[in-house]
Amino acid sequence: MTTPTTQVVKAPSGAGHPAGAGTVEDQQQFLTFHLGEEMFAIGILSIREIIEYGQLTQVPMVPPFIRGVINLRGSVVPVVDLAVRFGRAACPVTKRTCIVIIETAHEESQPSQQMGIVVDAVSEVLEIPAANIEPPPEFGARIRIDFISGMGKVNGKFVVLLDVSRILSMDEVAVVASLNRLESPAVA
Amino acid sequence: MNLDEALKTFVIESRELLEGMEDALLRIEQSPGDADLINAVFRAAHTIKGSAGLFGLDPVVEFTHNAENVLARARAGELPINAEFVALFLEVCDHMRTLVDRVANGGDFDVEVSDRSHELVVRLQAFSPAGIPAEQKPMLPSSSPDVVAETADEASTETGDWHISLRFGRSVLKNGMDPLAFLRYLTTFGTIVRIVTLFDDLPETDAFDAEECYLGFEISYRTDADKAAIEGAFEFVRDDAQIRILPPHSKISEYVDFIQSMSPDEIKLGEILIRCGTLTQNELDTALRTQAEEEAAGEAHHPIGEVLVAQRTVSPAVVDAALQKQKALKENRGGDSSMIRVNADKLDEHINLIGELIIASAGIDLSAIKSGIPELLEAASVMKRLVENVRDSALQLRMVQIGATFNKFQRVVRDVSKEIGKEIRLEISGAETELDKTVIEKISDPLTHLVRNSMDHGIESADVRLARGKPAYGTLRLNAYHDSGSIVIEVSDDGGGLNRERILAKAIERGLVKPDELPSDDDVYNLIFEPGFSTAEQINNLSGRGVGMDVVRRNIKDLRGSIDIETTAGQGSTMRIRLPLTLAIIDGFLVGVGNSSFIVPLEMVVECVELTQEEVDASHGRQHLNLRGEVLPFIRLKELFDLPDVPPPAENEDDDDDFGLGNADGTRDEGTSTANARYEVDEELAFLLQPVKRENVVVVTYAGKRAGLVVDELLGEHQTVIRPLGAVFNGMEGISGFTILGTGRVALILDVPGLVRRVASDDVRKNRAPSTHRG
Repeated sequence: MTTPTTQVVKAPSGAGHPAGAGTVEDQQQFLTFHLGEEMFAIGILSIREIIEYGQLTQVPMVPPFIRGVINLRGSVVPVVDLAVRFGRAACPVTKRTCIVIIETAHEESQPSQQMGIVVDAVSEVLEIPAANIEPPPEFGARIRIDFISGMGKVNGKFVVLLDVSRILSMDEVAVVASLNRLESPAVA
Repeated sequence: MNLDEALKTFVIESRELLEGMEDALLRIEQSPGDADLINAVFRAAHTIKGSAGLFGLDPVVEFTHNAENVLARARAGELPINAEFVALFLEVCDHMRTLVDRVANGGDFDVEVSDRSHELVVRLQAFSPAGIPAEQKPMLPSSSPDVVAETADEASTETGDWHISLRFGRSVLKNGMDPLAFLRYLTTFGTIVRIVTLFDDLPETDAFDAEECYLGFEISYRTDADKAAIEGAFEFVRDDAQIRILPPHSKISEYVDFIQSMSPDEIKLGEILIRCGTLTQNELDTALRTQAEEEAAGEAHHPIGEVLVAQRTVSPAVVDAALQKQKALKENRGGDSSMIRVNADKLDEHINLIGELIIASAGIDLSAIKSGIPELLEAASVMKRLVENVRDSALQLRMVQIGATFNKFQRVVRDVSKEIGKEIRLEISGAETELDKTVIEKISDPLTHLVRNSMDHGIESADVRLARGKPAYGTLRLNAYHDSGSIVIEVSDDGGGLNRERILAKAIERGLVKPDELPSDDDVYNLIFEPGFSTAEQINNLSGRGVGMDVVRRNIKDLRGSIDIETTAGQGSTMRIRLPLTLAIIDGFLVGVGNSSFIVPLEMVVECVELTQEEVDASHGRQHLNLRGEVLPFIRLKELFDLPDVPPPAENEDDDDDFGLGNADGTRDEGTSTANARYEVDEELAFLLQPVKRENVVVVTYAGKRAGLVVDELLGEHQTVIRPLGAVFNGMEGISGFTILGTGRVALILDVPGLVRRVASDDVRKNRAPSTHRG
């Protein structure tokens, strides 16, 4: 069974806080992590827990950024490889590789959905005041602009603040049957 | 009791009663003479009225009362029970349902509803002209003719008044009922001719309790109202009091019976009756004489304790609605006592827990095998068996017979056939077939679409049918049965069948099929499930918009089921829906392919055979093998899923490497670790299980077709708790769900029909543009 190593924070239950929808203004704490050499941050309100990487089951016939599924205390949680999602090569798994479990609610009506993202290493939880958050640059970030919710200034360096609701947007992540069989819609 | 709770019960019970009422009405149409059916309708209406009265739901009471009056007369044989009657009462039934729904939604009766009530009441009254007063036409038993014969020569009493005998229970006052109020109420629709108060029960002053009621009444009562109305007056004290109501001109023998049942002291009661004016002295004498004769003939004297028994055995000429209702209620209660209503959520939670239990037990089983301790192994296997039993019985709890769902279509068929002017009969078979409640709930809508579609498009009009040498009425059949782990529901009609040419023409016109293409029959028939596809020249309010069938297919797919069509031109068509029995837990067969493990639903597995090198050579690269003379096409899962080869077992020696760090993609195979576990148990067995580059074929069957799945390893049966695919994987084809293995790893459940479809369509594509690789 998968054992959670660190239970960093639990989103306040019943608050119904949609992930990522919390704007930069009301979100002050961020979890920073590494992906390759780069540092990124995610607002902690959407993070459920962080677990060790392991016991992942591959799912065939899905887009490459879906790494597979894990068993999180009895529920099956899909895991997205963030590096591949950003259009880079998957990083080799090391002892520091982690899965960050994100809780996302895509629409108000839908029940929230848990998803994991693979990161190379988790660093720390930072408090970034709203004044230190710049809007995303128009280009040059090496990842899709709409994935970025802002640039946080930490010790004179910039950290890319990610918008998880966009990265894990169901419209883009969900596997569509027609993906593999575009040519034969008429025959069922 | 909380009133809200009680109201909820009222709503639930009323809906059930209305269902029963509708069912009875539909059956009356077939057999109009059946007294039980009309009684059932009456009882339902009456019970609803009574209960609604308790809650002060006046609109319901008022409306139902009117309906009940007509029913009472129909029951007494005064009104003909014909198609018109049934049609009217079906509407009444619908309206009552609307009323109950309104109650459920907070009791908001708006103008629309009351207008409808009024309209129906007018029609009810028109149906039952109040021309024949009850007195002139005494209620004769309409039920059993032998009773009529038996009582025909008996003397009737002279009085034209009703006789009501009341014995209030001691607790009436304490329960908040005032006996006087009932008597006063009686005077609102009749006259009390004479009343005799009985105070024999009054105790000595010392023992007298002011809060108890000791009174009884004998009343001679004149009214135009029917018995049900009189009875209705005493609705609320029915349980608290002994009430007997004798209609005017009752037979003397009934009085005898009545006297016997009411009091041990017959003579006294007899005298009271005379005082009350109900009986003449002469009549009483006759009565007493009859009784004496009976006794002389050795018949048992009925003491009060046997009242009920006596009432049931004695001639039903005393058509005592109260009694009938009480009897019905008692029977209901008897049935209820062995039934428990359970909240569906609780049941789901229970089944989820059992799912967890199964996973846990699989884990223990695995550890037991690993440990090799015989006692532990035995204990684990006993537990596993018990858990399986618990699982089966838990799933059984969710199983519901499909009959109730089928029966709803009686009404649909009836209404639709009237609407479109075709005579169509519905035949139902396999009603006792059980399936999961969730499935039943979700299948109802698609079935409605299919039934309507068959009636509208399938069955021809009467003259066309006659011209084709078929009976003028069309037949629609609903059938259900179990077949290799799935349930099959068939909707068939004896209509014209699907018109291949017309569908194809339409498809070409809409660009779904290229003009030069020659699709197979199945492909053509499946076109009718395409969104927006309709061959109907005219759109009516039933069908023709091309929406329904698309919905049907989608709903069925959501249930992990499939639908296929069998049709013969001019003979009719059959829509066959296949559904899994349950949505929660299945028996699975675990197989290993490369580094991954998959579950094949066990009920689809026929056998496992070895794929020998000779077979592979003999097939010359074609994907099929010779299975005892049969051609068996197979699917190489490894190629289809693009899975890497198994690394040689030597590399996997360190079992502690739980996180698969040595592995590039971090996956580790459940199959291999299970196999490894077995090596530790028995070295010889390990040798046998050694995966020497040998492939196995799992032969699966689905909907009468066979296919082979080529896998690396066969890992045996496995209890599988299905985890849904979830939003991310929902659109996948070939995988129907996830499950968690005993080791805590996730395995994929294969959707065999989906796989076959996928491979088939891939093949079609490849054949069109031959290139790339095979596979």
